[in-house]
Amino acid sequence: MKRLVLARRETPTRGGQPLAFLAGLVFALLLGAILLSIAGDPVIDVYKRMFERSLGSKDVISATLNRATPLALAGLAVSIAATMGLWNIGAEGQIMFGATAATFGGRVFPDLPGPILLVAMLLGAVVGGALWAAGPGLARAELGVSEIITTLMLNEVAIRLVVYLQQGPWKDPEGFSFPQIEARPDQAGLGNIWERVHLGVLIAFAVIVVFAWFSSRSVWGYELRIAGSSPKTAAYAGISMRRKVLGVMLLSGGVAGFAGGIELSGTATRLNENLSNGFGFAGIIVAALALMRPSGVALVAVAFGAVQVGGLSIQSIGVSSAVASILQALILFGAIGAGVLSNYRIQMVDRKVVA
Amino acid sequence: MILAITFSEDAIIGLVVAAIQFGTLLYLAALGETITEKAGVLNLGVEGMMAIGAVTGYIGGAASGSPWMGLLVGAICGAIISLVHALAAVGLGADQVVSGLALTILGLGLADFIGSDYTGDPRRAHFGEVDLPVLTDIPWVGETIFAATPVSYLAVALGVATWWVLSRTSLGLGIRAAGESASTADAAGHSVAAIRVGAIAAGGALAGMSGAYLTNTLLGTSWNEGVTAGRGWIAVALVIFGAWRPGRVALGAVLFGLTLALQTRLGFFDINVSGTLVSMTPYLMTVIVLVVISYRARNQPSPAPAGLGLAYRREER
Repeated sequence: MKRLVLARRETPTRGGQPLAFLAGLVFALLLGAILLSIAGDPVIDVYKRMFERSLGSKDVISATLNRATPLALAGLAVSIAATMGLWNIGAEGQIMFGATAATFGGRVFPDLPGPILLVAMLLGAVVGGALWAAGPGLARAELGVSEIITTLMLNEVAIRLVVYLQQGPWKDPEGFSFPQIEARPDQAGLGNIWERVHLGVLIAFAVIVVFAWFSSRSVWGYELRIAGSSPKTAAYAGISMRRKVLGVMLLSGGVAGFAGGIELSGTATRLNENLSNGFGFAGIIVAALALMRPSGVALVAVAFGAVQVGGLSIQSIGVSSAVASILQALILFGAIGAGVLSNYRIQMVDRKVVA
Repeated sequence: MILAITFSEDAIIGLVVAAIQFGTLLYLAALGETITEKAGVLNLGVEGMMAIGAVTGYIGGAASGSPWMGLLVGAICGAIISLVHALAAVGLGADQVVSGLALTILGLGLADFIGSDYTGDPRRAHFGEVDLPVLTDIPWVGETIFAATPVSYLAVALGVATWWVLSRTSLGLGIRAAGESASTADAAGHSVAAIRVGAIAAGGALAGMSGAYLTNTLLGTSWNEGVTAGRGWIAVALVIFGAWRPGRVALGAVLFGLTLALQTRLGFFDINVSGTLVSMTPYLMTVIVLVVISYRARNQPSPAPAGLGLAYRREER
């Protein structure tokens, strides 16, 4: 009796991941089209509008790049943790707490001159994100507690913390009955560098380039990769795993927190519970699609930014913006399928041979 | 003075009733995740599967007028959507963390997409209390514990059944073996892939049922976007809190259900604490429990299935 099995190729197909991503995109658009037509929505109009309103003009390209920025930083945060085989599922919470810390900075020093306040708030965001990741990092380093669950749980705590601040201690007295936090100081905004693209896009790009260089060229990055791929080798080489684990989690949290600060000073004007809007979770998908490589993270983030901005635009023709979430998840699942095919080939074998 | 006491008595009864309803909701999803994780698969898609169950269960209940139909539809759709995780994580050996989170994004998105025409729709079916002879007439206990909807009794029955299957049957042995050591289970003649797919589908069905209960019960919610409100993550937390044991998970579900019930009722008890702060406690307690488990694990084995989260490829055995 014969059956089909997946046999691993000796060497993965070259250029496999970009192809897998494209295959995932096609898969997502096809399944999405089926879904839209079942719901009776005009498929071509929906896709056309999504494309035009995310990549079709300078104005909307600006919105896409701005949207891609927190996604790219969240993806970078996830990929930094992944170099040591760690999962930071808590970028969502770290973004929120980073933005909370930045907001705190703005509340304490509302009258500082713009550039100084901006730098202070962004630094605050980095520290805030790192602090939010410190607990899971310590627990993992000292006790081996799974960082997957601890970082995940702290997401929900951070979102509720923002809601609490919004309803109580930080409630804007001039916000009437609608609970909202006071807007951040005006002068702490990130200016535009091209069309409506804010400076944060450039800063985020620089951060990604620095990390790409750092992780591939520096001793620290080298040690991280050894520690991640073979803890035993690292131990022989005298690399302290505990300090590395904690350090990587702090760095990962700091980058995610930075995304929160950039979002607060870039696109948003005030902190609220929707500031992160799933960037942390989407960042995990972005990082996975980029195979945890910083350069790939930036590219996938722009694609996801376009899908999200396009998704918002179809509400006005009466189609749910949830289409964007569906497409993003389907891109991942499609790419997983295609990725497996690029590393494996389907073989027909005798049942006996395998069993 | 007397008035104040009767008022708080009502408040306490209301609190316990709500705690049991929320506890039921959490328990169904957490029981499903327990089965899935016992077979060695981490499924972080609970929130998404629950959302699918909530919207399809709402439509099924409202269209048929029967909350049982809602529950059934929710369970079936939850199981179907969970197969995406089964295909990716078991069939293709994808990373379980990524696949599960993508399932949550997919489930939440699909639920919003399907439900966009039903937001705020007043038509809905809902479960009423079961009128039990004698038991319902017992003071206090009758008004609180025995005022539960039939789904709470169903949840208890499913919990006992799960415990029995996992600990007393050869199927349960196969499930646990797949979770502790997939290669051993394979060598013993169990099909690890079939067991894991089945465990994922069971988890999906229960998460879907939990979502359907949410939109078919008296908690005052019909379908709206974000109706699951992070409760799927609490279910993931409960599995750890209850140390992967159906009985302990049930205790945790009632405890966490109490915190959910308390959130909107603090005023009745003159407690001057923000309900939002109270809503953080399930997540924080889970983190603390995880740390304590790991601290103890230096001397005794961890209660987590040893192979949890590890893909199994037969040819790489």
